[in-house]
Amino acid sequence: MGRNNQPKFLKRRARGWGIYRRRYSNWSEEVSSGIHPSSHQQQDGDPETSDAPVDTGIRYAPYAIPPCHRRVTFQKQGQSHINMEREQKPPERKMEGNKQDETSGTWFKIIVPFGVKYDEKWLLSLIQKQCSVPFTPVDFHYEKMQAQFFVENANIAFALKNINGKIWDKNNERISIFVSPSDAPYSVQKELKSEKVKQIKLLTMNKRYDVSQQSLEVQRLHFDPALVTLGVEMVPNPRNDTAASLQIHEESMLKLFPLNLSNMKPCQLAGLSTTMQNASNIKNLNLASNEVKSAGKLDKGKGLKPEEMSADRNSLCTTFPDKSTNISSILELFPKLLSLDSQESRPPTNFGIEAHKRLPTCKGSFFESDALKSLVLQFLRQYYLIYDSGDRQGLLGAYLDEACFSLSIPFNPEDPYVKDNRNIKKLKDPYLRLQLLKCTKHDIVRSLCVLPATQHDFSSFVVDQWLQTERVLCFSVNGVFKEVVGKSQSSVRAFTRTFIAIPASSSSLCILNDQLFVRDATPKETHSGLFIPVPTPASSSVPTLSQEQQEMVQAFSTQSGMNLQWSQKCLHDSHWDYTKAAQVLALLKVRSGNSGQVSGGQVAWE
Amino acid sequence: MRRFRGHWEDWRRRRERSDYFHERPGRSHSGSGSRTREDVVTPPLPEQAASGSQMAMSVDFKTYVDQACRAAEEFVNIYYETMDKRRRALIRLYLDKATLIWNGNVVTGLEALNNFFEMLPSSEFQVNMLDCQPVHEQATQAQTTVLVVTSGTVKFDGNKQHFFNQTFLLTAQSTPNNTVWKIASDCFRFQDWASS
Repeated sequence: MGRNNQPKFLKRRARGWGIYRRRYSNWSEEVSSGIHPSSHQQQDGDPETSDAPVDTGIRYAPYAIPPCHRRVTFQKQGQSHINMEREQKPPERKMEGNKQDETSGTWFKIIVPFGVKYDEKWLLSLIQKQCSVPFTPVDFHYEKMQAQFFVENANIAFALKNINGKIWDKNNERISIFVSPSDAPYSVQKELKSEKVKQIKLLTMNKRYDVSQQSLEVQRLHFDPALVTLGVEMVPNPRNDTAASLQIHEESMLKLFPLNLSNMKPCQLAGLSTTMQNASNIKNLNLASNEVKSAGKLDKGKGLKPEEMSADRNSLCTTFPDKSTNISSILELFPKLLSLDSQESRPPTNFGIEAHKRLPTCKGSFFESDALKSLVLQFLRQYYLIYDSGDRQGLLGAYLDEACFSLSIPFNPEDPYVKDNRNIKKLKDPYLRLQLLKCTKHDIVRSLCVLPATQHDFSSFVVDQWLQTERVLCFSVNGVFKEVVGKSQSSVRAFTRTFIAIPASSSSLCILNDQLFVRDATPKETHSGLFIPVPTPASSSVPTLSQEQQEMVQAFSTQSGMNLQWSQKCLHDSHWDYTKAAQVLALLKVRSGNSGQVSGGQVAWE
Repeated sequence: MRRFRGHWEDWRRRRERSDYFHERPGRSHSGSGSRTREDVVTPPLPEQAASGSQMAMSVDFKTYVDQACRAAEEFVNIYYETMDKRRRALIRLYLDKATLIWNGNVVTGLEALNNFFEMLPSSEFQVNMLDCQPVHEQATQAQTTVLVVTSGTVKFDGNKQHFFNQTFLLTAQSTPNNTVWKIASDCFRFQDWASS
């Protein structure tokens, strides 16, 4: 049986406030409506005698305290908190006032006594039917015999209060509704908290960011009042201070401003390594006046890659007999250092640590011997001849019975190869991993036959023959090919194909493992390929030419500088019209932008 | 039928052992001597079925492929992390007689490899693609071998970023308690090597 407390509630507001506070202060910390610092001062006094506390964020009134007032309060709160133990009071209550709308952002708890009897949906829809204003219940739950939920708006709360006693349940008993101000519900608080943390971070950062110097003051950051009241990641442990305080700033640390870590105790630097992982973009590190006793302590800062550093007045500087040892130990830790104590230290010249680190020159194909080279190249010619021929069934003879084949591509859902893409970095399903590995020669050839038609550019092949034993020969081929997808559609693709092969006879190989990686060609690769078909064995490649044609080819070759095969092709395409061929060639040269290097241009052989 | 059952039980037992693998490899669950954190270690491999029935062979192969994939994944993670962050420890992942072909440059043997890696500037690797295949024993003298192929990007200090392709041949060195994988052969190439 619900009782109608409505009229008394309003009058007893001041007193009722205290009641609610006491009753609900144990329910959960977050939703506690009491424990307010300023109230501590009033604790001896009778809460009823004070007016609704000026400083609380929660007001049962549509006309809330203006935001600016609250902010001031907040800061005072902060300072009084430095030496107190961490309170559970969530500070975001205060920040609610920063919201634009003064009636929203204040939360109210709606209580239905004996609400546990009613189904949630039924109850809420019943209430909504009666209520003139649409509302969104937040955190609906049952507590003991009650049903409770929260709403965010004072007007809504008013409206709900007015329903009290006007709704009936199925047994024709009145349903009461009590409304009281409250903290934000737990779920919202959690959200707000992280929002709040972000805001605080920004605030603090802005305070400490010296625009002119573009530097961030980290000293005594952990004492910053704004951060303390947050109770966030602030374990008052000197060893972890720096770590904790810097952790807050990880997002901002990604910017390239200098970091001032001077005047800190070594233990404070201890937390550097973990937190600094996110701060690796810091370019300037000031470690001056640190009591760092040994380079070992600095080791913690290894994640940093500063380019400038001040390490002046460090005890560090005195533990080593001479400054250069000390400096080189610093440099070992911070290899990217360009300036130490304001002295330029271009590594290669002055300090020479990274001087000898260069990339070796890149070279072309590698073969262990010429014999192997011709063996491999011959194999590849034969293989791709069949591969490009339009019928890949002929490849059955190239594979061993137990051969394996798989292919992978960079992710592209429209790629014709995507169905067979076996990238086990992304593909975790063991069943699929097995399925996409083709394991007998018949399976392999079957799947090869289904891949798009190709035209490989043999001249683009770069081969690395990386292993040879008496049992195997392993090599990787890099190159480009033209992929014919539709009638007129063709795109240039690049590939890397790794073969593990077993010598089948003195002059042939049989494939045991075949892994193909296909990607789009870069523009450079596209234009360097010649896309002549794989040269067929010499005997049948050249159709018999008449004497005249042969002479034309010869002359054309001499004049253009191209080889005979090219010249022949060119003439052939121009129907053996010499002048026309020459014009076409000149046009190609111009288009390719090369002054006489025909091979650099792309010959379109559509 | 009893023969099959026997094989299935073997297979199940092996599966349990391979589930064991889900622990982080860094943890030493065996007391086997000098294992460093760079070692790529997996649980013992299933014994190759000695000419069993078709069914037994395929059961082995499934597990075999599974093991190969997991070893490859683990290996690749450790390899590139070691390359980036603990360069000096990298050669521990190579066999004594291993060979590296790096953009056409050949490097053979641990000492040469050591010098080579020392000379390379510091790196930042990002692997985008990984594929692997088990290598049949007829190629390897019954030493369990896995072919691993990776692709991604790398930035060497002082140089521009490159796309790369890399191929490893990993061999397993089995002890009763675990399997240590090492590189027998390594082939690395920038995709745009010609312009660098």
